[in-house]
Amino acid sequence: MLQCIFLLSDSGEVMLEKQLTGHRVDRSICSWYWDHAISQGDQLAPVIASPTHYLFQIVREGITFLACTQVEMPPLMGIEFLCRVADVLSDYLGGLNEDVVKDNFVIVYDLLDEMIDNGFPLTTEPNILREMITPPNIVSKVLSVVTGNSSNVSDTLPGATASCVPWRTTDRKYTNNEVYVDLVEEMDAIINREGILVKCEIYGEVQVNSQLSGLPDLTLSFVNPNILDDVRFHPCVRFRPWESHQILSFVPPDGQFKLMSYRVKKLKAAPIYVKPQLTSDSGTCRLSVLVGVRNDPGKIIDSVTVKFQLPPCVLSADLTSNCGTVNILTNKSCTWSIGRIPKDKAPSMSGTLVLEAGLEHLHVLPTFQVAFRIMGIALSGLQIDKLDLKNLPNRPYKGFRALTRAGQFEVRS
Amino acid sequence: MAPPAQSHRSPSPSQPSGKGEVSDLKSQLRQLAGSRAPGVDDSKRELFKKVISYMTIGIDVSSLFGEMVMCSATSDIVLKKMCYLYVGNYAKVNPDLALLTINFLQRDCKDQDPMIRGLALRSLCSLRVANLVEYLVGPLGSGLKDSNSYVRMVAVIGVLKLYHISSSTCMDADFPAILKHLMLNDPDTQVLANCLSALQEIWTAEASKSEEASRERDALLSKPVIYYLLNRIKEFSEWPQCLVLELVAKYVPSDSNEIFDIMNLLEDRLQHANGAVVLATIKVFLQLTLSMTDVHQQVYERIKAPLLTLVSSGSPEQSYAVLSHLHLLVMRAPVLFSSDYKHFYCQYNESFYVKKLKLEMLTVVANESNTYEIVTELCEYAANVDIPIARESIRAVGKIALQQYDVNAIVDRLLQFLEMEKDYVTAETLVLVKDLLRKYPQWSQDCIAVVGNISSKNVQEPKAKAALIWMLGEYSQDMQDAPYILESLAENWDDEHSPEVRLHLLTAVMKCFFKRPPETQKALGAALAAGLGDFHQDVHDRALFYYRLLQFNVSTAERVVNPPKQAVSVFADSQSSEIKDRIFDEFNSLSVVYQKIIVFQCSRSRPMTRTSS
Repeated sequence: MLQCIFLLSDSGEVMLEKQLTGHRVDRSICSWYWDHAISQGDQLAPVIASPTHYLFQIVREGITFLACTQVEMPPLMGIEFLCRVADVLSDYLGGLNEDVVKDNFVIVYDLLDEMIDNGFPLTTEPNILREMITPPNIVSKVLSVVTGNSSNVSDTLPGATASCVPWRTTDRKYTNNEVYVDLVEEMDAIINREGILVKCEIYGEVQVNSQLSGLPDLTLSFVNPNILDDVRFHPCVRFRPWESHQILSFVPPDGQFKLMSYRVKKLKAAPIYVKPQLTSDSGTCRLSVLVGVRNDPGKIIDSVTVKFQLPPCVLSADLTSNCGTVNILTNKSCTWSIGRIPKDKAPSMSGTLVLEAGLEHLHVLPTFQVAFRIMGIALSGLQIDKLDLKNLPNRPYKGFRALTRAGQFEVRS
Repeated sequence: MAPPAQSHRSPSPSQPSGKGEVSDLKSQLRQLAGSRAPGVDDSKRELFKKVISYMTIGIDVSSLFGEMVMCSATSDIVLKKMCYLYVGNYAKVNPDLALLTINFLQRDCKDQDPMIRGLALRSLCSLRVANLVEYLVGPLGSGLKDSNSYVRMVAVIGVLKLYHISSSTCMDADFPAILKHLMLNDPDTQVLANCLSALQEIWTAEASKSEEASRERDALLSKPVIYYLLNRIKEFSEWPQCLVLELVAKYVPSDSNEIFDIMNLLEDRLQHANGAVVLATIKVFLQLTLSMTDVHQQVYERIKAPLLTLVSSGSPEQSYAVLSHLHLLVMRAPVLFSSDYKHFYCQYNESFYVKKLKLEMLTVVANESNTYEIVTELCEYAANVDIPIARESIRAVGKIALQQYDVNAIVDRLLQFLEMEKDYVTAETLVLVKDLLRKYPQWSQDCIAVVGNISSKNVQEPKAKAALIWMLGEYSQDMQDAPYILESLAENWDDEHSPEVRLHLLTAVMKCFFKRPPETQKALGAALAAGLGDFHQDVHDRALFYYRLLQFNVSTAERVVNPPKQAVSVFADSQSSEIKDRIFDEFNSLSVVYQKIIVFQCSRSRPMTRTSS
């Protein structure tokens, strides 16, 4: 079980320390960790064995969440828990950075107190925590000025602790009942130098924002659930209806949550092509990159960028494009921001790279990382059939959206 | 991922010493302590916040203990919480003063608001002062019977805290029996889960002292308890589910029907959003079916997809932890994963750790049908900017070559590496070509032709240089200028810093001498003379040994130094299957994530203290 949690700033300063058990963990472990982190550079594992403790660490927005234990425990329990702590804090404080943590450390302590006791995680469900500890939002700040009462602790105990649906309280009331369902997909792909799709798969999430009164019961079905290779559910999803009919039946938590995540593998086509070409000749290298729409998804492809790292042996680079802007930083990383792909011409970038003295050819070839976004379509082909709502006093508003963006989309040269 | 610049780092971050501020706070707190003026709570709140912020940044504010306690008489819950926090932090070093807090904490334990009752009870148990335990028993007893589940939940963990402060007090009050009753009867699953974790700890610790406790500990693993927990598993929140699953993994079912029942019941847990739950479930499945070979295989098939999804969702840290477990399974049953090889392709942005695991998996899943694609992919990495990964990929190609029967294409690829003219690629490849030649001597013609073109001056790494020298000795009859290369190396003996290389040089010169005596005589003389004068014990001894052998009889020397060799069919595996099995028992434990670091290297040299909390 976890013995202690530290929050470190991006300069290694201990911002917060929360001892969880009787075995006090000395702060010196943080300086050990910090030295270790510096010596390892960007190759730091999430679980580290220090001379005295096992350390779990995650870094979010420059803040290191460090947890220590001396006993054996499931590794993901430590890592998942820290990730949840980071999510909850960022949710409560409206982002994460050193100042915001230091300004609100009392709330952070309160939250940690409810999230973990004696080293064992209790609840990390944001909806429940929200009822125990009021987030420091602007309204309550204004109120505290007016009334002089700045209590962060709500007077009531969370109703959900007694509810049979632990992720939801029974007494939510909205005047406008609304529910939004978003399909958000990320395409991971590797394209080799011949332009062949080596690997292409989609990781997708069904994100729901529910603002519904009472205890609504929802069923969501897809036109083509059979294309999904593997699925994972929010605890609210009932397993049997999925098992028998591939229907998502659930009582939603309040607000924004991730209903389901899924994977679709072995996709046959990517929506755009990126063709890099490099030809070296006596100390210089000619680079050209062509980008265009391949299998037109029927929607506009925008936010297209191509990023790559010039190899260290390149002395200087002169690159121009007929569309968008090219940026070369001092660390030799290049970004070509294209934006929306125009209808009338194919974007291209070209130029020359000057190599180190003595090098005839470029031996190390860059990998091009491509980003794009397509609104209005889920490229896996997954389609929502319908969403039914039960247990609601009046007809709610239902909204559906879809979005696909590039995840790890890389083109080798 | 790493903290940015080193320049920011100083051994102890600059902080005010705080002495002046602390005494300042002390007098301010004193003034407020007795005051009943309106608005006093607000001023107190500001002061408390300051105290806690000093505490947070590591300034010792324990000297304010008395004043803080004096100020703690308040009905303001924010003040209360800050006060609890402070008291919890410093009571241990101020046991005498801690007595002062007991009074108000005990009073709060009887408050109307269950939240305050719970918080007070939690703080009371967190004081951890041995001579105050007598004050804990009463509030804990009533806390366990409280009508509110939040208070009961806190009280259960409180019992465990009490046990760690004074086990005898806890046992005398008969708390474990009450917890057991709660565990089997309480309607709230969080209370139930806390009982389970507390009882596990208490009875495990007591088991060595009393037989009854050890019986109780075993009773947790009995069929009724396990079934009771399993039947309610969906009511538990995610973290307690992990706890229950961990317990179930230790349960030994009586027959196969029971095994299937449990697996059917838990199957949907594989689709849980929390990775810890998924891994705990997988562990249960693997443990239950260890003795049933067919089912065990089916389990692998079933858990594959959830694991692969877990890897692609979540943060890099989570991915890595899951990937380490996947790695373990792939190593154990590579055949089952051979069609999933594309999942192990490395992406540009992944960390070194992830790439390394993936390379190892690619290596073991390679079989006749996918070798070509895997090797093609690995060759891409060899041209990569990332040098450590380029090295690892070349090694991986070599390992695949050693596993496979059809090595034609692979040998060509390896030889292409030598033409890339990159030091580290050449170095890694030389080591591999040497290993390949030992297994497939029939490839010597092709390899030697390419290796012969490499100038020994371009090879600096000891392992690579040793490999090159070994090949020069072994194939000196096929390499025209082998004696002369060896000669120049022997003449520059002092420039060679690695004893490993010098040892190889001695042997290579000897082998070359037996095959081409007239040309090698000069090199042999130089090498033996230099070797005899070498300061390194092994090099010196080997030179002396060769010298005496030659003196004794040249043909005997040849039989000793260069006997006819058989091709090596199997190389000793670096990771024995026994260790693989042992680490497999530890699925879903920390050792999987460290892998080599803990189990293979440090486990004996660094005993981790097993504390009981």
